[in-house]
Amino acid sequence: MNYFPDEVIEHVFDFVVSHRDRNSISLVCKSWHKIERLSRKEVFIGNCYAINPERLIGRFPCLKSLTLKGKPHFADFNLVPHEWGGFVLPWIEALARSRVGLEELRLKRMVVTDESLELLSRSFANFKSLVLVSCEGFTTDGLASIAANCRQLRELDLQENEIDDHRGQWLNCFPDSCTTLISLNFACLKGETNVAALERLVARSPNLKSLKLNRAVPLDALARLMSCAPQLVDLGVGSYENEPDPESFAKLMTAIEKCMSLRSLSGFLEVAPLCLPAFYPICQNLISLNLSYAAEIQGNHLIKLIQLCKRLQRLWILDSIGDKGLAVVAATCKELQELRVFPSDVHGEEDNNAAVTEVGLVAISAGCPKLHSILYFCKQMTNAALIAVAKNCPNFIRFRLCILEPHKPDHITSQSLDEGFGAIVQACKGLRRLSVSGLLTDQVFLYIGMYAEQLEMLSIAFAGDTDKGMLYVLNGCKKMRKLEIRDSPFGNAALLADVGRYETMRSLWMSSCEVTLGGCKRLAQNSPRLNVEIINENENNRMEQNEEDEREKVDKLYLYRTVVGTRKDAPPYVRIL
Amino acid sequence: MEVSNSCSSFSSSSVDSTKPSPSESSVNLSLSLTFPSTSPQREARQDWPPIKSRLRDTLKGRRLLRRGDDTSLFVKVYMEGVPIGRKLDLCAFSGYESLLENLSHMFDTSIICGNRDRKHHVLTYEDKDGDWMMVGDIPWEYESYISTCSLTCSFIISDLNRCFCFSMFLETVRRLKITRPERY
Repeated sequence: MNYFPDEVIEHVFDFVVSHRDRNSISLVCKSWHKIERLSRKEVFIGNCYAINPERLIGRFPCLKSLTLKGKPHFADFNLVPHEWGGFVLPWIEALARSRVGLEELRLKRMVVTDESLELLSRSFANFKSLVLVSCEGFTTDGLASIAANCRQLRELDLQENEIDDHRGQWLNCFPDSCTTLISLNFACLKGETNVAALERLVARSPNLKSLKLNRAVPLDALARLMSCAPQLVDLGVGSYENEPDPESFAKLMTAIEKCMSLRSLSGFLEVAPLCLPAFYPICQNLISLNLSYAAEIQGNHLIKLIQLCKRLQRLWILDSIGDKGLAVVAATCKELQELRVFPSDVHGEEDNNAAVTEVGLVAISAGCPKLHSILYFCKQMTNAALIAVAKNCPNFIRFRLCILEPHKPDHITSQSLDEGFGAIVQACKGLRRLSVSGLLTDQVFLYIGMYAEQLEMLSIAFAGDTDKGMLYVLNGCKKMRKLEIRDSPFGNAALLADVGRYETMRSLWMSSCEVTLGGCKRLAQNSPRLNVEIINENENNRMEQNEEDEREKVDKLYLYRTVVGTRKDAPPYVRIL
Repeated sequence: MEVSNSCSSFSSSSVDSTKPSPSESSVNLSLSLTFPSTSPQREARQDWPPIKSRLRDTLKGRRLLRRGDDTSLFVKVYMEGVPIGRKLDLCAFSGYESLLENLSHMFDTSIICGNRDRKHHVLTYEDKDGDWMMVGDIPWEYESYISTCSLTCSFIISDLNRCFCFSMFLETVRRLKITRPERY
C-alpha cells in the first residue's frame, strides 16, 4: 500500500467509517496516521476529560462532526451533582477560534449554556445538526439562537434534556427561508408551544422526516401537522387528556392514514386511551414503538395496539403491559430486536399483580428469535427463568435486568441469582453490556470473569460479598471499558490490585462501596494518566490535610484515563487526587 | 416496600466511618429486609430504581390507576323455559361470534343473532334501560369497532357518533336471554 499515492490511500480510507477501525488504521505507520487524521470527518470522544479541544483540533483539523460525552452514566440517576463538570463551552470556543468547519455536534450528559448555543450558531456557516441527549444548563433562548442563525440547519434533536422553558417564541425564530429541516424533536420541553409557528415551519419543510412534539401540542393541531407532512417517518405524539370529539377524531384518523411512511411512533404522554385507535391504520408499518411515557394507558389498551404491530423491531413500554401483554408481544412481534420494559410503580404504592415477572421475560425470549437487546425492570426473578432465557436467546448483545428490590433472591428457591446470570454470560458469547441485580454473591462475578469475554460495560448494584468479586471481573473481562458499581462491598484490595488495568478502560465508578480515601490516594500516586476524582457533596470542610482520616470511606469515586492531566473546572466538593 | 429501608441503612453505613464494619452492616441489612412495608408518606429515593428523571417525573404525576388488566364483566344467561341460569364473563370474548359459539356449546344447541325462526334459538339481551333487545345490532365495543373500520380505511362522522355515544354492547348489556325457536 505504501507505493500508492496518498490520495488513493485516502480514498480507500473513506470506506472505513467506524471510529474504532479508523483508530486502528492510524496505528499502522506514520504515513497512514497522517493520511487518516487529515481525512477524518467524524470524531467520537467518549469522555470529554480524556483529551482537550486543542489537541483534538491539532490532530483532526478537518473534522466536521464531533460527538462528546461528559458525565458518567450514573449521572442519569441523580448520583452526580449538577455542577460536577462536562461543560461544552471551551470546546465550542476552541473550534470557533480554529475555524473548524463544524457541521454536526452531538452531546451527551454535558452542560450546555445559552452562551454556548449562541456562539455555536454564529461560528459555523455550514452547521447542520445538533443532537443533545440528557444535557442541561440551557433555555429556550439558546434554542432561539440556533433557530435564527443556523441557515443550513437540518436536525435539531433534543432528547431527555433539562431545559428551562421561557415560554418564548423560539419556533418563530426559524426564518421563513428555512426549508431544510429533516428532523425536529422538542418532546422534552415543558412549556407551551406556539402551535401556529410550528405549523408554518412544518408546512415549509418538505424534507421533514422526524417530528417529535411536546405535551403542549393538542390533537387538532396534530391532525393538521400530519396532513402537512404525510412523508413523516418518525412521529412523537404529544398529550391529549380529554376524550376527543368525533369530528377531531375523524380528522386525525384521516391524516394518520395518509402517513404511509411512518415507521416509528413515540410520545403519548397523558393520552386518553380512546385516542389510540386513531393510530391503528399505520401499526402494521411500524418498526419502532416507544410507549414508555404512556403512564395513563392501561395494559389492555396497549395490548390492542401492539397486536397490530407485526413488524416491530424495537419496543419500549411500561410494565403495566403485564406478563399477559408480553405474551402477546411474543406471539405478534416476531421481528423484535430490542425490548425495554420500564417500571410504572416506583414508589411501591400499588398493590400490583399486573406488573411483569420472570414469566413475561421467558415468553419474550421464546417467541422473539431476533432479540438481542433487553432492559427489563421487574419485581421478581428466578434462576430457572434466566437459564431458560439464556437457552432461548444466545444472541444477546445487551442484557440489563433490574429487580426493583435490592438483594432480592430467587423468589421460588430463595437462592441467589448467581446461576441464572451465570447461564446468561455462558450462553451469550457476544454479550457486550450487562447489568445485574437481585441477590448476588461473588460467584456471579466468577462466572462473568470466566465467560463474558466480549463484555465492555458492566453495571453492578447491591451485589457481591468480598473484594474477590470485583477482582474476578477485572482479571477476566479483558475488553471491559466501563465499570460502574454502587452499594457493593468492594474495597481497596480490589481497587489496587491492578492499577495499570484502568488505563485500558474508559472509566470506573464506585459509590457507596468500601474504598477509602487512603486507597484512592495510593491509586492516584503512581498514575499520571488517570484522574482519580472523589465526590463528597456532604463534606464541606474536609480540605484540612492534617485532620484527614485515610480510613474514611469514600462516598463516590470516579476515575478515568486521560492524556491531559487534572481538569481545572471541578467544583469545590470534587477532589482530584 | 422494603427498598428504602434496606437501601438507606446500607448506603449510610458506607458514608459514616463510625458505622459497623462490612460484615456487621450486612447483618443489619438482612434484618432490615424483614421490615414490613412502611407508610406511603416515606420519602421516595431519587437514585433507585435506576430510571431517568423525565420518566420519574412522568410517573410521579400520574393518577393512580386501578389495575384494570383483568377486568371482567359477568352477566346472567337464561335459556327461556329453564329456571336455572348460568353466568358468563363477557370480557373473555372478542366479539359476537365467539360469544355465540361459546353459548351454543354451553347450552348444547344452536344459537344465532337475528330474527326468530323455527330452527334456531335467538339471543337477546336486557340493556341498561331495562329494554329487551336483539343481540348484534350495535358494535361489540369501541376498539374492535374502530379497528374493523380502520381496515376499510375511512368512515363517516355518523359512525363515529355511534362510538362516542358509548352505545357499545359491552357498556350496555345487563343480562342475556336465549329465546326458544318459534312454534308457529
